[in-house]
Amino acid sequence: MDQPAYGFLTDATLCIGCKACEVACKQWNQLPTDSPGDPPKLSGFSYDNTVDLGARTWRHVAFVEQPTAGGVAWLMLSDVCKHCVHAGCLDACPTGAIIRTEFGTVIIQDDICNGCGYCVPACPFGVPQLDHDDGGSHKCTLCYDRLQAGMTPACAKACPTESIRFGAVDELRAAGRDRVAALQADGVDALFYGDEDLGGTGGIAGLNAMFVLNGPPEAFNLPAKPKLPRRNVLPSALASAATAVVFTAVAAIAFRVQR
Amino acid sequence: MSRGDERNPGPRDPAAAGYYGVPVIHGPHWRWLIAAYFFFGGISGASAMISAYARLFGGARADRLARTASLVALATLLPCPVFLILDLRRPRRFLNMLLVFRPSSPMSIGSWSLAIFGGFLTLDVGVQLLFMCAGKVRRETQRVNPGASRALAFFSGTSGMIVAGYTGALLAATAVPLWSKRPELLSALFLSSAMTSGAAAVTATSLLKPADGEIDPALELLEVFAAAGEGALLVGWLASLGPTAKPLDQGLLGYVVRHGGGGAGIAAPLVIHAAARRMPRRARRIANLLGAAMALAGGFALRFAIVEGGRLSSDDPEAVIALTR
Repeated sequence: MDQPAYGFLTDATLCIGCKACEVACKQWNQLPTDSPGDPPKLSGFSYDNTVDLGARTWRHVAFVEQPTAGGVAWLMLSDVCKHCVHAGCLDACPTGAIIRTEFGTVIIQDDICNGCGYCVPACPFGVPQLDHDDGGSHKCTLCYDRLQAGMTPACAKACPTESIRFGAVDELRAAGRDRVAALQADGVDALFYGDEDLGGTGGIAGLNAMFVLNGPPEAFNLPAKPKLPRRNVLPSALASAATAVVFTAVAAIAFRVQR
Repeated sequence: MSRGDERNPGPRDPAAAGYYGVPVIHGPHWRWLIAAYFFFGGISGASAMISAYARLFGGARADRLARTASLVALATLLPCPVFLILDLRRPRRFLNMLLVFRPSSPMSIGSWSLAIFGGFLTLDVGVQLLFMCAGKVRRETQRVNPGASRALAFFSGTSGMIVAGYTGALLAATAVPLWSKRPELLSALFLSSAMTSGAAAVTATSLLKPADGEIDPALELLEVFAAAGEGALLVGWLASLGPTAKPLDQGLLGYVVRHGGGGAGIAAPLVIHAAARRMPRRARRIANLLGAAMALAGGFALRFAIVEGGRLSSDDPEAVIALTR
């Protein structure tokens, strides 16, 4: 019964920028191109022509060029849905299309999603996106179909350097922390992104897809201390209720005086 | 679709945070349909509140005002589902909104509230019209069955309050910096703006008949109070946002907020209300109609600017990073 939560550990220090994860993801999940125009546009952002995660791009390799004394330090990281322990998209979804699976992952059921688009701004990491053709919201499923068959997700399977590791979240978290400690001992400025101190902050309670970073999170377009949007529901409701009480009191006085 | 396409990366500053100016979060797709829904839903909910206030606090003389307010509420509620369904990217699945109830999702709360409000309001309007006809037939000035009417007033007013108010929470419960930084002020602002627009709509409707060319004094007091409160909340909200208010501080949206939302929607109606008191009867009616029209235009301008501003705020990586450091 006790199925562990599964996730990713993606290590920027091991990534060589080959984009095999992007290709394997597109191929397995049958995701069409983002730019229907031919030929696709080049971004000019280093070797990154993918630019962002989106409805049809569930792995995105970021290429960061940092000027150093000796030239340029080249940082690469394969970004993906974080499968948050408390997920903003899941909290926001009004149809029940977004669910937590038996593997602890977060998926969007395409046959339920009605394209309301609320999960899109509700994600603190900018992951889900509405598809301009089919209208539904889409994101990484952590290869739900492959997990059900006992297989490794396509991106992790294809990664030639084990920069993307797949496994039980508890084991990956321990491995990630060990890796950061070892890197720091070697003098690398490494960070663990995905616990309640960094990445999984503000009520998110940790990420099931974690990262080992060799630069500040913002350099990879990751927010350092994101917050769970749901935290605002109660203060908003209380403020609305208080405002309504004031209006009711004013109305009671105004109409009674008139009577 | 890649949003980095048009951007020139330029030389990178190693100390600067961010990734080639690519947005950190994905912005909402909502545009004028959602702004229009916020506007009409706000009017409808607030008008139902006004109708309930008139019946619960106002006595028999306010029955006519209550009927007008309920009819305004029903008329402005009708386009709401149309706006919402048209905004869905898969509109035929609109009923999936009522598959589950998720209290963590203001959109789920709002969908259910809208459905329940629609039911109560329809019943409420039906019963009020029935009582009006019965009253005429029996040539009675006293009210028929006030117990049922008061209960319906309470339920349609309370559910209308939720419909008028939840939209602030809907925007606040996102990762959008402009919407999420001060959830309590945004929510109070949305309900106040709804009340200003609702009171203006009820006023305008009752002034349309030249025979009753006078504003109900209680409604006028409520309208002035709501507009003054809305003005204070708008100024306070924008000030408390600091640099996060950037999309509403400058450019076309800044103009729309200052002159549309603030000037036309709040300041002008307050000035007109004060000036109209000293005018002759006919001029007063015209002035008050003009004030109500300006309040309504300003109410829509404010909703539109806040919705559009949220999209700009989402696309600004610096704004997102500043709030997640």
